Amino acid sequence: MNNIKFLLAIWKANLQSAMEYRISFLSQMIGMMANNFIYFAIWIIFFDRFKDVRGWGVNDMYVTFGILASAFGLVSLFFGNAFMLSDIISKGRLDYYLSMPKPVLLHTISSRMIASGMGDFAYGFVSYALSGYFTWDGLARYVLAMLLAATVFAAFLILTQSLAFWFGTMSNFSNLVLNAMLTFGIYPITLFDNYAKIILFTIIPAALMGSVPAEFIRAFTWQSLSQLLIGAIGFLGLATIVFRAGLRRYESGSAIQIEV
Amino acid sequence: MKTFSKYWSIFQITLINSLAYPGELVGRSLMIIPFMWIFYQLWKVTFSAAGADVVSGLTLRDTLWYLMLAETIELGRPPVARTMSESVKDGSIAYILNKPYDFLWYQFSTAMGETIFRAMLNAIFGGLTVWLLVGAPAHPEGFLIAIPAVLGAWALHFCINAMIGLSAFAVEDVSAFTWIYQKLAFIFGGLLIPLDFYPQWLQVIAKALPFASAIYGPARLFVTPSLELFISVMSLQLAWIIVLSLTLALVYRSGIKQLTVNGG
Repeated sequence: MNNIKFLLAIWKANLQSAMEYRISFLSQMIGMMANNFIYFAIWIIFFDRFKDVRGWGVNDMYVTFGILASAFGLVSLFFGNAFMLSDIISKGRLDYYLSMPKPVLLHTISSRMIASGMGDFAYGFVSYALSGYFTWDGLARYVLAMLLAATVFAAFLILTQSLAFWFGTMSNFSNLVLNAMLTFGIYPITLFDNYAKIILFTIIPAALMGSVPAEFIRAFTWQSLSQLLIGAIGFLGLATIVFRAGLRRYESGSAIQIEV
Repeated sequence: MKTFSKYWSIFQITLINSLAYPGELVGRSLMIIPFMWIFYQLWKVTFSAAGADVVSGLTLRDTLWYLMLAETIELGRPPVARTMSESVKDGSIAYILNKPYDFLWYQFSTAMGETIFRAMLNAIFGGLTVWLLVGAPAHPEGFLIAIPAVLGAWALHFCINAMIGLSAFAVEDVSAFTWIYQKLAFIFGGLLIPLDFYPQWLQVIAKALPFASAIYGPARLFVTPSLELFISVMSLQLAWIIVLSLTLALVYRSGIKQLTVNGG
């Protein structure tokens, strides 16, 4: 309960900080929505010509792209530092968070809000509304699937970026796996053979951020819900264990840090 | 000639600098491998579903090699807009403006210096991946023929990105413009889908825009090289470079009048 109060306070402070530059916040939000709409036009062109990819049509892509955008946006808004965790670790900037009487991981990743995430978050809902699959119970499933997909995504970021405790600066690797996660997440799962699917559920769990939540939103099944729940709990648990193990190895830097 | 040698030296220094961190250089370039693999999955299924070996004049192999070069052009270019807007925002532009060289030519020389090795490694990793997946390109000589068009593509990218970067003279943050430009280049440049697969009306529009000269033209020249295509791609590209570089010079002149540098 204390952690929830703490998170609410930190998010409020982040929002107030972002609102200091309202024009910039709005331009990033609107710009990101426009960016996503233009990007999605590629899939409209593709399906206009080729109609179907092993049973997936443009309507399925609206849902998949939407849920991925919303989950990505949610993490950007509320846990923006998860994208920079390896940098924070390798530059010794964890010192600041370690000196505070709050959970280190939670405090670190929630201390930054990426304004453009609002554009991704909102775009996802619009994309779902345009998909032709919209129903009110589907919207409830959308929200649940988004929370679970965002949990998987945040856990994946923590997990991969925590490797910086062992290997130092990991910005290239982090960018590589982040791009792989997002790229594989927006492609129809039916493209991949069974070996590739195993990778997309485990090493790069893009399926748990794109196609599985999309399947759950289109129609409730216990199978897709359990896949999402197991994925979210499993990855979050693993990410926390790896971060804690890494934290034991952490060596403070001597640089003077000022967190604003 | 002396003026040219000045920018050639800047280009050489940046080129050597880009080799200072080989791990970083290789790490960035590995990104093309998952991209090419997923393109292979998508187009293999699509060609198979279409039940044809050739779609709009391209085979699966042509399509993959086309996408490899398109990605190499896109992933190879440095973030010029961001670099320029940062230098406007933090005032470091003042240190460049008082040097005995032209701001735009300096930026162009450094951008090209950063691009060369990055693009070469992308081409190597991307090329090896595609070779393993679909075999050698049908026209290996196309790579050499496409090189002038690839260089022209980076000049075009530079002109547009520099204009976006310079818009920081007027607005706080240019990131929204860079995202939108990037996605327009994806669509109208044919980065993810060759323009030949587009509806006819959209092809006509896209091929007339500068984005096609920056991505589609060089990539298509690589997979289906011919003298006619070379002349057509190069002449359209040259026309766009002239128009956009003149526009860039005008934007720069009007922007520099608004610049106020605080502190130092």
